Amino acid sequence: MRRITIPIGPQHPLLKEPVSFLLDVEGEQVLDSVLRLGYVHRGIERLAQERSYVQIVHLVERVCGICSHVHTTTYCKAVESLMGLEVPERGVYLRALLCELERIHSHMLWLGVLAMNMGFDTVFMYAWRDREIVLDMMEDLSGGRVSHAVNVIGGVRIDLDEEQRKDMLARLAQLEQQVLRAKNVVEHERSLRARTEGIGILTPEQAKQYCVVGPVARASGLDMDLRRDMPHLPYSELDFEVITHDAGDVWARTLVRVLETVESVHLCRQILENLPDGPVSVRAKRRAPEGEAITRTEAPRGEVIYYVRGDGSESPARLKIRTPTLTTLITLPEQLRNVAVADVSVVLSGVDLCIACADR
Amino acid sequence: MTARKDSAIDPPHYESGAIKEQIVPALQTAFPDDILDVQTMPVDETVTVVRVEGVRQIIRHLVEELDVLHLSTITGQEIEEGIELLYHFWRGSGLTLRVVLPLDALEVATVTDIIPGAAFYEREIVEMLGVTFAGHQDPLRLFLPDDWDGPPPLRKERS
Amino acid sequence: MAFGDVGAALVAWFLYPGFLFLFACAWAFEWFDRLTIARSQARVGPPWFQPLADLIKLLAKEDLMPTGTKEVLAAGLPMLALASSLTAVLYVPIAGRAALSFEGDLIVVLFLLSLPALCYFLAGRVTGGVYSLLGGNRSLLQYFSYEVPFMIALSGPAILGGSWSIAQIAQHQDATGWGLLVQPLGFLLAIIGLIGKLKRDPLDIPKAKSEMVAGSLTEYSGRKLALWHLAMNVQAVVGVFLLVNAFMGGQSFHQPLLNGVGFALRSLLIVFALSGSSVLYARLRIDQLANLGWRVLAPLGLLQILVILGIGR
Repeated sequence: MRRITIPIGPQHPLLKEPVSFLLDVEGEQVLDSVLRLGYVHRGIERLAQERSYVQIVHLVERVCGICSHVHTTTYCKAVESLMGLEVPERGVYLRALLCELERIHSHMLWLGVLAMNMGFDTVFMYAWRDREIVLDMMEDLSGGRVSHAVNVIGGVRIDLDEEQRKDMLARLAQLEQQVLRAKNVVEHERSLRARTEGIGILTPEQAKQYCVVGPVARASGLDMDLRRDMPHLPYSELDFEVITHDAGDVWARTLVRVLETVESVHLCRQILENLPDGPVSVRAKRRAPEGEAITRTEAPRGEVIYYVRGDGSESPARLKIRTPTLTTLITLPEQLRNVAVADVSVVLSGVDLCIACADR
Repeated sequence: MTARKDSAIDPPHYESGAIKEQIVPALQTAFPDDILDVQTMPVDETVTVVRVEGVRQIIRHLVEELDVLHLSTITGQEIEEGIELLYHFWRGSGLTLRVVLPLDALEVATVTDIIPGAAFYEREIVEMLGVTFAGHQDPLRLFLPDDWDGPPPLRKERS
Repeated sequence: MAFGDVGAALVAWFLYPGFLFLFACAWAFEWFDRLTIARSQARVGPPWFQPLADLIKLLAKEDLMPTGTKEVLAAGLPMLALASSLTAVLYVPIAGRAALSFEGDLIVVLFLLSLPALCYFLAGRVTGGVYSLLGGNRSLLQYFSYEVPFMIALSGPAILGGSWSIAQIAQHQDATGWGLLVQPLGFLLAIIGLIGKLKRDPLDIPKAKSEMVAGSLTEYSGRKLALWHLAMNVQAVVGVFLLVNAFMGGQSFHQPLLNGVGFALRSLLIVFALSGSSVLYARLRIDQLANLGWRVLAPLGLLQILVILGIGR
């Protein structure tokens, strides 16, 4: 049979963001693939060298749409370490609340997209309808459904009063019902399982070699979750499980993400019930002293690492961002080898690409 | 198959002291000439200053003998003395290897054969800072467009 | 020929059960289908005039084709697909009356209803482009997987009814009992075959949006695409009518109005089955369909035939 090249991207109904995979196909088998990134490279690290610390909070929020809060959280933590500031407990808890809500949002959006790319529109519609509950909660908390602008250097700029807190708990109960129903569907729906089981396998050895992080790593048996491994507030005071699976295929990743969503709902409830009193931020100076700081956070897709170097001025000398999608992108040519063309969409969806994050 | 908690593949998580108390002393014993200094950085990061020539063997030792497998990323930045590369590892707490490349010798050995996951990080530094990684198989453009012919973007403009 | 004959022929040709009637049925089919799917997915669904609005919008759009496409073929293929369905309907009794009928017209109708699949495949070849070619190839692979079970399933009522004329089959079922109840397995296979023929979810493999962009029709736009949509909807309608006659009888009442209502209700039942299966299942992979078609459906069809032969004796 003839060998043809199928271009997936930069524009393709399968992709939410521009990235290019050139698939070398023979019949219905993918033989090889070439990955090209950079279509959404905005040069954020370079821009950061010419902006002040406060301006960079806004810049960094726009690295990614769906994990925007995690980026600002990690950045603010890095600058706070540089400046020697300690965020009050209430501020830390509120940051974590939004992190967990973002995780739920990201996973539910992803479930819908996976289902849609498999031709299962019904699951897509229901998952995205339930995602509206999360978006409404985030809007109540911060004023924005997807882009929150909640973090400032030194803490957060929002607060919850008693009535809002009770209202959020009520909505969380509603969300929990829907998330559990989604979990039920994913665990028992046979056509979903038939399309995802055994596809895109990443062995634990490969996952370790490629330094994969996040749900993809956990689905390949690597027990790594920064919320537990790196002792920090509030997770050190909260009770949650790290979900792993050892199959390493798209089915395992689906299960891991859905069960993580359930855990995140529990975490949100614990945060809301144990919210400490006090201020939500401390005042920060405009200049950071000379020094360096490295911070890591567990984003919905895995480990986000920020490195900041200050030189005593209002602007950092260097800001380095590494997002989790970059670690999974590098495994894709390996995963796509010898896969049927029909399964390419399943593999690409299973990895939960966030290209804007990867390109910055 | 239902998802389970602690997997049998990897020991779950390491104590935070492992880097300071075991790994760094082990490196200092194994490579006394290549380790120039040990510093700390917030948040909970140990920094080991390393000679350029020793980077590859130290990383090989970390991966193969000391079980430090997770390379978070490689940061590159231009400083007074040249280009500084920071290799950020993680095992319970952070370990960063700091290497300074003089401006007239911007070359260091690749580590992609030891850690395949380093490929993208090295490629980014090649195009953003103009460093060469000796032995890298595939140093194609990663983020910059194919027809970019300006200077590496993260270098300082010299007038 | 008397003026009345010509007039009657023209009415039959253009109004009922000809073009206008079928186009109205195709409109109703699309709207009902989309509404059912939407409501099952907790959405509102389109207003009643949506299919017509879509058609008009498409007619107004620019008709672009890649260089190297043979325009005549590209335009002719949807016309051929539409024409074959329109011809097939002449032999399918609607509310008990078929325009034409002869012994063996079931075979003719089955042949005419599979022409659109061939046109779809050729359309992919003619317009070129990776997605079109691959979509066309897949549609041919799919054709071989569902067509055999479909034909076997439809032979069941013919064997029971003792005739290869659809009108006769329908009348036999009115007398002895619906095929739906007597040979439910055959009915199920016919529904699955129809889903494959119409390239609907879960068997819309050739035009899977996330893989093939739009399959053979990727490069089509404007008037030609409108013609394709019309052709596919009319094929769907004729397929539904065929299944009603083959499994649910023709004219149970002897009053034309009641017949019409009964026929419409039975057609709606089949459309429900089609929409429901769209909602409930994820898309199959082409190798899963091939497996299903040859290892499960075809043998089940043969089993059903054996059972019928047993009953017949």
